[in-house]
Formats: sequence, structure tokens, C-alpha cells
Amino acid sequence: MIFLFNTFYQFGDALSFLLLAAIGLAVIFGMMKIINLAHGEFITIGAYGTVVSAKILKLPLPIAMFFGVLITIAFGYVLERIIIRHLYGRPLDSVVATWGISLIVSQSFLVIFGPSFEGLQTPLSNFQLGAYSYSQYRLLLIIISILILILLYILFLKSNFGTLARATIENPQIASALGVKVDKVYTITFCIGSALAGLTGAIYAPTMTIVPSIGQAFIVSAFVTVVTAGASPFIGLIPAATFLSLMQTSVTSYYHATIGILALLFSVILIIRFLPSGFSGLLTRLKK
Amino acid sequence: MIKKDNIFIVSTFLFLLIIPILLDDFYLNNISYFMLWTFISLGLALIWGMGGILSFGQTAFFGLAGYSFAIISINFADTFAVGIWSPILALFITAIFGMIVGYFLFYGGIYDVFIGIVTLSITLVLETFMAQTAGPEWAIGKARLNGFNGMQGMPPLGISLGEYKFYLQGMGQYYFIVLLAIVSLWLLYKLKKSSFGLILLASKEDRVRAESLGHNVKKIQMIAFTLSALFAGLSGILYTNWGGYITPSSMGLIAAAMPVIWVAASGKRDFFSVFLGCIFLVYISQALAIDGAQYAIIVMGLILVFVTRYFPDGIILMLKRFLSNKLSTKNRL
Repeated sequence: MIFLFNTFYQFGDALSFLLLAAIGLAVIFGMMKIINLAHGEFITIGAYGTVVSAKILKLPLPIAMFFGVLITIAFGYVLERIIIRHLYGRPLDSVVATWGISLIVSQSFLVIFGPSFEGLQTPLSNFQLGAYSYSQYRLLLIIISILILILLYILFLKSNFGTLARATIENPQIASALGVKVDKVYTITFCIGSALAGLTGAIYAPTMTIVPSIGQAFIVSAFVTVVTAGASPFIGLIPAATFLSLMQTSVTSYYHATIGILALLFSVILIIRFLPSGFSGLLTRLKK
Repeated sequence: MIKKDNIFIVSTFLFLLIIPILLDDFYLNNISYFMLWTFISLGLALIWGMGGILSFGQTAFFGLAGYSFAIISINFADTFAVGIWSPILALFITAIFGMIVGYFLFYGGIYDVFIGIVTLSITLVLETFMAQTAGPEWAIGKARLNGFNGMQGMPPLGISLGEYKFYLQGMGQYYFIVLLAIVSLWLLYKLKKSSFGLILLASKEDRVRAESLGHNVKKIQMIAFTLSALFAGLSGILYTNWGGYITPSSMGLIAAAMPVIWVAASGKRDFFSVFLGCIFLVYISQALAIDGAQYAIIVMGLILVFVTRYFPDGIILMLKRFLSNKLSTKNRL
């Protein structure tokens, strides 16, 4: 029983990490075919926004997290308006531009906040089960990641905006001819992606050391998850994250965390060799 | 007879060949440092400018070559001719690795931005891996990998023939790098005009059409990718030899961005522009880094955003076109 719970806990922890790391990136990529290389910095902004509001403004943690998300949304909105929007016809260039933004933001954080910042304590307590101790907060994170996914599915499948968004993914020209304001859809999507990245930073902030490169802890996981999810990350994200976290937890529990990351990379390279369009491609093929 | 297009190239290299007379070793070493980065940029220009393959992880090959070179030269420090064999072996390892990665990318049907993400992931994972090799169990032969601090203490690259010893330092190193640059540029321009280069160009314009014309596009792309890995490896070896050290952060996110910035800002379609622009930008980074490396990186990021937004063709290439237009109008008069 304890063994089962332990396995579930490890797996759930890895799964929620991959899902939360990738979700903002996946939303933006799925809609706009842009890989936001500044994704890690969006997470950093969310984390710093939270910690600064909690420490300096003395706000309670949930409100501080809300602030962190708001700041990230504002940043994403400004960025989309002044840079990304002008590069829509050139997907590779827009990716390169987001890398420039990533460098500017991460180094500015280093200049403004210094190499490290006083962190927060992990909220909630630990509980003991057999020989192991578990953090309640991490269990909460697993639940939050599932909740976010459910909310996103409702947003994109049931809401009015979701219909417009899916029409834009399918064919932007025809959607715009039918009166969908494609630009607006893109802006909102970019803000949703930013919000999700900011949320990831905000809720992981109490569990990590606050350094300017905090976002970089997420990006490799985010990249590999989106790559294995394939061309339509909305479909492929959950199977991809499940598969990768299974790989990672099984390897990490036998060897070492770094070997776990190496295993992640190798499984990705093997997956793309045999499933070039990732899990979403596989699922669409199975449907047919 | 010198063609009009080549005036810039010939005069630049004449200048580079002559200036050692005027400069002492300190400045020469600096210029060598600026120039050793041109190879990784030229490799990226080959696959990005000509092939439309945007690799974000050229530093993986840079680091792999640097580390292999360091490990081999430390292990065989006292053997005859290690100076020749260690770089060649390191380049060989890099080429094999590049070919394997290229095989999985192109035969796996990975294109566009996914290539960038996969290659970036590779270099970041290599960085994470090398950074945790601090313990004594991480050693290959006599060479400790030293984790985050990186490797150092490798013997300088050189050859000794009996009494005569020649090390790649100071002026020798400078001329060696200039020579390598001339050979590389010549090779790349040849390649651009060869059928290989034309197929690569065609595959960038329209992959499917090039394939349906009967060309083995995947193979061509894999070979081009391997070549670019070799160029990146060359930079890695020269860098390791220049400073006598190699660290995991040379494969990190910031290091990986630099070649992309240099190539994008210079003009990815023209090798000579990339060569010049790279030297110039490395010089700027170094000059700015006096006040702190973070400011230099912020400026590089700004340059990248600015250039992709306003000058997608690259600034140096634009200047070069402008100048050669001026020259040709003068000739006509």
C-alpha cells in the first residue's frame, strides 16, 4: 500500500511538473505555431512576482500568486503587441526574437534582483507514511495541474472563445473572412499562454530556490513534452506527459536525477524517429 | 583578376595578414579569440542560411569537441604527435555525433522549429550532465571532468619534431586561425556553387518539390548538418586551446544563443558577412562585458530582437550590398 502510494506520489509529482512546465508553451504553440523561447522567463516573472509581493508587499500567499500571474499576463500582452505581432508571417523569426527577449529578461532579473533572492517557505505541512515523508503542497500541485487541464478543455471545447480559437487554428484566412478577429484571438491566446506560464512560476515559487535562472529549470521539460506531444499539443499533451513522466520516474528511482533527464532526452529522440508527429499524430491516426 | 564581389574579402584578409606587424601578442590573442568563434557561426550559416535548418544547439558540438579534445590531450600528453591527433580525433567524434543527431532529425521527419527545440534540448542536457560530473568517479583515464568548474590543464596544441617545437600560441595561433578561416570560406563558397549546395538551397525553398525532383534531400541535409557540427567542433577545439579550459556553461542556454545572434545579425545568407559580423559582435560583447557580462548579454538580446524585427536579412549583408552597389555605379560612370 505504502509502496503503491509512494509510486503514485513520485509519478504524480513528475507528471504535474511536466504538465505545468509545458502547458503555457503548448497553448501558444498549438494556436500560433510559435515556440516561445522566453517561456522560461515568463515562469521566472511569475515566480518573482509572487515572491516579491509576498515578501515586500506582505501579501498572503494566494493573493501574491495572483499578482504574479497578473504581472506575467501584462508582460505577455505588451510583448505580443510590440514584437510578436509583427512577426506572424515568419514563424522561425518569431522564435528567434523570443530568444532575444529571453536573454534580455533573464539578465535584467540578474541586474535588478541579484544572483539570489530570499525564498518562501513551502506552505502546508508534511505528513508521514511508513518510512517516507510527503509534502501536502506537492499533492495539491498534482490536483491543481489536473484542474487547469480540465478548465482549459472547457475553455477550448465548450466556450465561445474556444470555437473562434479552433476556427483560427484550422484556417486563419477563412476564419478571418467569416468575421473572426484573428489578431484578437492571437493576442488572447498569447495572454492565456503567459498566464499559464506565470501560474507555473507562482505555484512552484514556494518550493524552489529563487534565482534569475529559475525558469530554465522548466524549459527542457517543457520543450521535450511539447515535441513529443506533436503538431497539435492539445491532443498530445496528456499522453506525452504521462509517457515521459513514467520514463523519468522509473529511471530516476533506479539511478539518478540527471540520468533521469538524459533518459527523457533519449526517449524523445527515439519517439520522434518512430512517431514523427508525436503522440497527437499517433492518436489522430488511430482515430482514422 | 579580382571580381567585384571579392574586393571586400581579399582586402579583409590582406588586412588580417598584415596587422600582426603592428600589434603585440596581447592584441593578437584577442583577435584570435574573436576569430575562433567565426567557425561555429559559419557552420550555422551553412545550415540556416543555405538549408533553412535552424539549429539552436550548435554549442553541443562545440562543447563535445572541446571536451573530447581536452580529454584526449590530457591522457596522451607525452606522446609524440598528440598535437595533431587530438584535434583530429575530437573532430571525428563530433562528426559522428553530428551525423547521429542529423540522422534522427531528418530521417525522423523533424522540421522547422522542432529541429531548433530538439537541438537546444540536446545542448542543455549535455550542459546539465557535464555540470554534475564533479566527483572523482567522473574521469576518463587521467582526465577529471570537474563538473561545473570545467576542465583545464590540457597541454597546448602543437607539434614537436625532435629539437623543434611549435605551439599554437601568440602569432602562430593567429596565423593558423586566419589560414583556417580562408580555407573554410573558400570551401563554403565552393560548396554553395556545387550541386550539393544547390540541392540544399532547393530543399530550403521547397523540400517536397526538391524531393520529387529525385534528390535525396534527407541525406543532403544530414551531410550539411554534420558539416556544420564539424565547424562548431573546430571552434570548440580552438577555444579550448586558446584559453586552456572548457566549461559546461559553454553549452548552456546563453552560450547557445550567441551563434544564432551573430549569424542573424550579420546576414545568414552570406558567409563572408557572417565572418565579419561575428568578429565584430564578439568584440562588442567583450568590450561591454567589462562592466559585467549581464549587460553584454542584454545588448546582444536587444540586437537580436531589433534585427529580426527590422532587418531580417542581417545588417552586415545589407551594408555590403549597399557598398557594392555604390562601387558598381562608380565603375559605370
